[in-house]
Amino acid sequence: MAGRIMIRVLYFAQVAEHMGCREEAQALDAPMPATQWLAALEARCPALAPTTRLKLAINQQHTSHAAIIQPGDEVAVFEPVTGG
Amino acid sequence: MVVVQPEDFDAAQLLAALHARTSGRAGAVVSFIGTVRDYAEHAATQSLFLDYYPGMCEREIEALCATAQARWHILDTTVVHRVGELQLGEQIVFVAAASAHRGDAFRACEYIIDALKTRAPFWKRETLSTGEQFWVQQHDADADKTAQWDAGDHNAEL
Repeated sequence: MAGRIMIRVLYFAQVAEHMGCREEAQALDAPMPATQWLAALEARCPALAPTTRLKLAINQQHTSHAAIIQPGDEVAVFEPVTGG
Repeated sequence: MVVVQPEDFDAAQLLAALHARTSGRAGAVVSFIGTVRDYAEHAATQSLFLDYYPGMCEREIEALCATAQARWHILDTTVVHRVGELQLGEQIVFVAAASAHRGDAFRACEYIIDALKTRAPFWKRETLSTGEQFWVQQHDADADKTAQWDAGDHNAEL
């Protein structure tokens, strides 16, 4: 489809288990608010609900759900971290 | 120095290296080691698996160390964090800070491990002796501790 943009999506830990994969390429029609993108992800994988509690990183930087996903972005979705 | 690796680490060697890098300038080196403990209440912990985000993990920890160096008088820091399968009692993480003065070294070391727990993208999955597995949830207390540092509460204590 003409004009579609690609993003690289990474899933970790419990989110990766629910999604059944750790990485995928996705096509978007246009830059998209992260909240809208997360709502679509939740519709595709209801086990992730509520996605409001999930954390996002864009291009390896912690990001709020108010961010806009841009062409070429690396978007990571994960539960609150538990290292240390 | 920030390293994320599956292999175990030798804390004495890491301390000696930090001491060598700051020798003659550091009057204090404070370190912290985190280990795998029996965590769940209803059954014994057998092992932990640590998932992580390669690249972002190292970048986040580097940023935390830079924040500590900007906030206190810190000469150098070392953080080593293990990933993959870890057995009960094994070492998980090493944090050390070197400073001219102990107060700065204590605070920086505590800040780095507190902030790492809420910012560095690692996730623990616990396996119990019963075979049951679950992903560990972030503690509200950990988030609160980082929020306190961000609010500067610990500065007020100085």
